[in-house]
Amino acid sequence: MTVRSSLRAGLSVGLIAILMVLIGITQLSGQLVRGWFGLPSATPGAWLILLLMAGWAGSRAYKQAKATSWGAALAAGAVPGAAAGLLLGALMWGIGSLLANGTDLRQWLAQLSPANVELLTLGLPPLASALVILAALTAAGAAGAALSFASERGQWGAAWAARRQGLGAKVTSVPAIEKFLARPNARQIVLIAGLALLLLLPLGVGQYWNYIIGTIGIYVILGLGLNIIVGMAGLLNLGYGAFFAIGAYTVAILTAPEPHNIGMSYWLALPIAVVVAAIAGILLGIPVLRMRGDYLAIVTLGFAEIIRILLRSDVMTGFTGGPRGIRSVGGPELLGIDLNNETFFTYFILVGIVLAAFVIYRLQNSRVGRAWMAIREDEDVAEAMGVNILTYKLLALAIGVGFAGFGGAIFASRNRFTGPEDFTLQVSINVLCLVIIGGMGSIPGVLMGALVLKGLPEILRQLDDYRMLAFGALLVVMMIVRPEGLWPSARQKNELRVAEEELTAGPGTEVVEA
Amino acid sequence: MSEGGHILKATRVTKQFGGLTAVKDVDFELPKGGICSIIGPNGAGKTTFFNCITGFYKPEAGALIFDGISLVECRPDQITTLGVARTFQNIRLFAGMTALENILVGEHARLRAGVAGAILSLPKAKAEEKRAWDRANDLLDFVGLGGKGDVLARNLPYGDQRRLEIGRALASNPKLLLLDEPTAGMNPRETEDLMLFIQRLRAEQGLTVLLIEHDMKVVMGISDRVTVLDYGIKIAEGTPLEIQSNPKVIEAYLGSNQEGAA
Repeated sequence: MTVRSSLRAGLSVGLIAILMVLIGITQLSGQLVRGWFGLPSATPGAWLILLLMAGWAGSRAYKQAKATSWGAALAAGAVPGAAAGLLLGALMWGIGSLLANGTDLRQWLAQLSPANVELLTLGLPPLASALVILAALTAAGAAGAALSFASERGQWGAAWAARRQGLGAKVTSVPAIEKFLARPNARQIVLIAGLALLLLLPLGVGQYWNYIIGTIGIYVILGLGLNIIVGMAGLLNLGYGAFFAIGAYTVAILTAPEPHNIGMSYWLALPIAVVVAAIAGILLGIPVLRMRGDYLAIVTLGFAEIIRILLRSDVMTGFTGGPRGIRSVGGPELLGIDLNNETFFTYFILVGIVLAAFVIYRLQNSRVGRAWMAIREDEDVAEAMGVNILTYKLLALAIGVGFAGFGGAIFASRNRFTGPEDFTLQVSINVLCLVIIGGMGSIPGVLMGALVLKGLPEILRQLDDYRMLAFGALLVVMMIVRPEGLWPSARQKNELRVAEEELTAGPGTEVVEA
Repeated sequence: MSEGGHILKATRVTKQFGGLTAVKDVDFELPKGGICSIIGPNGAGKTTFFNCITGFYKPEAGALIFDGISLVECRPDQITTLGVARTFQNIRLFAGMTALENILVGEHARLRAGVAGAILSLPKAKAEEKRAWDRANDLLDFVGLGGKGDVLARNLPYGDQRRLEIGRALASNPKLLLLDEPTAGMNPRETEDLMLFIQRLRAEQGLTVLLIEHDMKVVMGISDRVTVLDYGIKIAEGTPLEIQSNPKVIEAYLGSNQEGAA
């Protein structure tokens, strides 16, 4: 049983490792590590990430096996390491052989250049390199298990644990931190902060990566906003992209020289864009929010298409630039310094994400958030509890859509351009997908969803044509494997866990109760 | 108080669904602090009448005066804010929320915190939230669910769900509590407990309670007055003893159809 599950863990680590090699994440990690530590080659960094993964799998397997001796711990850890090594080794064997035959793999996957492949094969012949990988990952798995074993059993571990405890006690003696840690969601906040920090690190990687991180970030903001509407209040909105467009166009019209030459400061145009989007949401919401479920979805979908077609039509050319869009959208500047560059925007977007997450976190655990949840659970009953349904639905829509306006404002000025084709149905669907894939109602889930849905396709530029295929496959797999999302909210996890307990303990308690 | 000690006064209330008249010309008075029951065979219009009081349905004709205010023009949430709370025939908790959250939603009408207060965690909003949690925990204790605040409503046993629903209704500090078949699906012991509980509500909180109930032991055991509906028409009204011997009632229940005797 445990061997089976650790084998399975090893195989998934192996598959992830293969994916990482194919899309160039190992190579990226290699370059990053080389840059940070001034190493002569990218090889150590590329290996590091693989070894860490194998080590993690090994440590997990050890914990599952509950091994009590060094030998057992090492063996438990070696199993997943070997499994992962076998998969990756086989792949590298294949790739190595193909390269040796002179096949240019770059025509299928741009990351598989001979130089990149060599990072892992170390210039050895194919079979030898495969064996090295197998051995290395097996060793890493065993090492991971040994580390866990030592930290739990050994004196070193005890000393470390004691130190950690002492440190923890010292930290928590600060009342503000103590109070913070006492909160039910303290862990989530720390994680978000950690992720934000992680996102700050790649700022050394240049314009291209900044652009990608920024794009992911904008989608995180959009996802957070849609999460209020769909995840919290339960209003299925398929026209979210329309408000993204409204935000983008508001900023564009107010700051660009054409077509109106208003020349407003970006810092003024930004809040206006948010407010305009929110007002548009309320105007759409008043007639539409009386509908429920499917009807609401279809009406919002139609609204988004109307907005896009209006933007593209000749009717609006004088006002919005028509199909050509609006060029030279203004960007942020501070005290005369032009901040219109990728690095600044990346920071700006990150700040926006933190702000948005904070707002949502606070709302979630308040009277307002509870009213939204009540509406999602049962509209009639919520009304019977004194919740003014229409007001609260409008509130959810206005706030959620305000985030879309904010995202749009950043998007337009970052690109210095906005046009109708930026706002196809695809945008709305993408955002909805990332909310669902990440886990409805979960803030870190949105982060994960955006990383997967916007990050992967950006990294997989060469597979661009297959993006939709990947989306579809991912959604289907997700719904089967993790119906609650990549990083579900504690509530949903709790729900599933308790439901399982009910299943196992249910009949007995039922009898007692009856 | 107003209406001569009556907290709720209905005059000639009529509700129609297409050609069907579910409630017809019903006059009804509910004395303050009373425990009254509405009984009647299935489909007699009891729940429809409840839904008219709570604003879910708008009666075609007639007046509903609660504490001096007409309910006919009010939305359900406004009626709750006025002090009418209800439970549902088939339990309708917020299944995906915890017991505590269910009660907190019940408190919604009493609370004031808005978006700004919540986001900025203003002192007023914070203090209110703290009080709301304390009150919710007290209510959980009161309905016998102390310590189960973190359990999702859907995972509570049936009897607890019934009690939680009453707790949630109480959270809005109602003056009038409407219970739609509160003992449905309960065993005799639970039913007994609930009867004591309802009497306690009146004694300790001065609540007026209106019940729809099929269990005649409950109806006859705790009601001050009983109203009988049949095909949407009030056919009898009086003390439990009067009702028990009323030939019209006996006919409605045991009439030619042999329908729904409890």
